[in-house]
Amino acid sequence: MSLNAATPEFVRTLTNQIGEGVISPPTPAYLEEPRHRYTGIGGCLARPRNTGEVAAIVRLCNDNKVGIVPYGGGTGLVSGQIMEHGPAPVILSLERMDAIRDVDAADNILIAEAGAILANIQLAAADANRLFPLSLASEGSCRIGGNLSTNAGGVNVLRYGNARDLCLGVEAVLPDGSILSGLERLRKNNTGYDLRHLLIGAEGTLGIITAAALKLSPRPVEVETAFATVPNPQAALDLLNHLRDDLGDLISAFELIDLNGILFMEETGVDHTYPLAEKSKWQVLVECGGGVDARLKARLEHALHAAAERELILDAVIAQSEGQRKSLWQIREHIPIGNRKIGSVVSHDISVPVSRVPAFIEAARPLIEAIDPDLRINSFGHLGDGNLHYNIFPPMGRNRGDYDNAAKEVKKTIHDLVAQFGGSFSAEHGVGRAKVGDLQTYGDPTKLAAMRAIKAALDPNGIMNPGAVV
Amino acid sequence: MKALVPVKRVIDYNVKARVKADGSGVDLANIKMSMNPFDEIAVEEAIRLKEAGKIEEIVAVSIGVKQAQETLRTALAMGADRAILIVAADDVHQDLEPLAVAKLLKAVVDSEAPDIVIAGKQAIDNDMNATGQMLAALLGWPQATYASELLVEDGSATVTREVDGGLQTISVQLPAIVTVDLRLNEPRYASLPNIMKAKKKPLEEKTAADFGVDISPRLEIVTTTEPPTRSAGVRVGSVNDLVEKLKNEAGVV
Ligand SMILES: Cc1cc2nc3c(=O)[nH]c(=O)nc-3n(C[C@H](O)[C@H](O)[C@H](O)COP(=O)(O)OP(=O)(O)OC[C@H]3O[C@@H](n4cnc5c(N)ncnc54)[C@H](O)[C@@H]3O)c2cc1C
Repeated sequence: MSLNAATPEFVRTLTNQIGEGVISPPTPAYLEEPRHRYTGIGGCLARPRNTGEVAAIVRLCNDNKVGIVPYGGGTGLVSGQIMEHGPAPVILSLERMDAIRDVDAADNILIAEAGAILANIQLAAADANRLFPLSLASEGSCRIGGNLSTNAGGVNVLRYGNARDLCLGVEAVLPDGSILSGLERLRKNNTGYDLRHLLIGAEGTLGIITAAALKLSPRPVEVETAFATVPNPQAALDLLNHLRDDLGDLISAFELIDLNGILFMEETGVDHTYPLAEKSKWQVLVECGGGVDARLKARLEHALHAAAERELILDAVIAQSEGQRKSLWQIREHIPIGNRKIGSVVSHDISVPVSRVPAFIEAARPLIEAIDPDLRINSFGHLGDGNLHYNIFPPMGRNRGDYDNAAKEVKKTIHDLVAQFGGSFSAEHGVGRAKVGDLQTYGDPTKLAAMRAIKAALDPNGIMNPGAVV
Repeated sequence: MKALVPVKRVIDYNVKARVKADGSGVDLANIKMSMNPFDEIAVEEAIRLKEAGKIEEIVAVSIGVKQAQETLRTALAMGADRAILIVAADDVHQDLEPLAVAKLLKAVVDSEAPDIVIAGKQAIDNDMNATGQMLAALLGWPQATYASELLVEDGSATVTREVDGGLQTISVQLPAIVTVDLRLNEPRYASLPNIMKAKKKPLEEKTAADFGVDISPRLEIVTTTEPPTRSAGVRVGSVNDLVEKLKNEAGVV
């Protein structure tokens, strides 16, 4: 199953058949990724304007056994959108297919083309007085096709689920160039294998998503946001359960913030305002939302007050305006910027059962210290989902390059521990190319065999995102 | 010394305002309302004066619908000592004019006898920028508007004002009205313990009729319209393209 490169000759054929405006040489932006860890290759960049053009490109590539790397917003963190080695592929960007085809407030459905930027989808939903709850720090750049292909999570999974839970159907071009018209507006439809679920989370290895039918929710009228310092991760978890006892599933986000994340922002001059007088090793950001007259503010105040009496929190603030709310979220959302400026030795996107997160944090620290006591840990993330970004950084004044040897050992140590805790080595970012080895090491062999069989059945030439996932 | 701080409940600064279909005003149904940001700065400044030992008591006052209670509770949670609510409207869409508000505030000043009134320079909803000035005129007190720095000492206030092209420093005799600008300070968050304490602080409720003030409108809003939407831009391929478009499409060169 060897592939051919997208040679100048092939690119000429593609250009002749598809059109000059669509095919161009790839600019450097398409060969880089957010962390500057991987550099891609590509014979050409294809930017089709409609599903028909996507299908035509895929068909030509399939006929000539040329690989395709689908490209959304380029914010993926596991090198799924970046191919480093092998015969140069066609990079197929969905950026021109960014229309929002329909917003239907009665059906609570929004139909978007794959290239629509997530933030624009959120705005279109809000304009119809609806909520599209998928929300992540990269929402101003990532595109819905990429979100679905990575089954993105983000900050609202606790209440609304991940990308998979928010999608009712997809339109896609399969590896042979055929078009799957699956933009169903149905909430119930049990008619055989649900192919949308194969394409969601496939990271571009089974076809190209060209459009999606997305599920909308009522727009919360009252949104309340609090930032609290807590004594330790167990208290944070107890706080979550305490708040849920009171507010049920009105809690939409519950983020754990490690002091190091804040110190890193200070160290590198990343804009943020710490809202409390005293910092603590651990803090949480909580958000809840409700309908008209949910009296949410008073309920949250009382629940937090009771939590303080149980000594689950040390201190807290509640945003009194949208401006304060944004400023609290900025703390959480700017942590990755601080991280990037420091430069992690290695970062992990892991999940364990929610109740075991505190034990995991306890167990992991001495193992990292045993490798090198100077390493700095910033473990933060979506505590409500049991998902931690467990990232390891060099000591102040040192460079991540000095720790290349430790990196491998740290990664293996953490991923082994995750496996012991019954967790996952990739909670929300996917496998891409960066974690193919981990999938082979930690994945269930039967699952891997079934995945390979599916891949071979749908993409016998192996043209779709070569080298990714399987 | 005592400070009086008027606070207004307005459409949240970060929320997109939408005009009602009939053009009679902004639609405020189910919209997030918060304290006018300039008033937050005024409350913060009063608290800092109190922390510095310059004043002993901060009274927050709000005039509007009953729900302005929440705005006052925020002021109390930040650090005001007590609050007065004058219920003068029963519908969020009914906006009182600056003169009516100034007259009511004058009545409150008459009964509370503060040494200083610290107010926002304007409310972000109707952008009138008049209440503080009108109140000064009604009371015959000095006024110092657009404060970006405030120093209270020996019965006078030294105020740095942001004016076109620079800063102006003036000194006014107390009692006086100071209206505050954006750069004066950064308001604090309301902490949970203070939010809980604020629930027990006194909040007195009055009506406009209690003060015998005529609040009937004197201005008529003819129409309210959305700002024009900006049409999407285009990317041009070269300088020549740009010049061509500026000449033939935009007609500006
Ligand atoms: C600052 C920051 C914060 C982030 N936070 C989160 C977070 O909280 N939760 C989370 O889950 N992720 C997060 N991510 C990771 C990333 O943003 C998400 O994975 C995002 O969903 C990727 O979307 P994209 O459009 O950028 O896809 P890309 O990076 O362009 O592509 C991602 C993968 O999907 C494939 N692909 C893209 N479009 C299509 C398509 N139309 N059809 C088929 N395959 C396609 C690509 O080939 C690649 O394998 C974050 C990233 C950054 C930089």
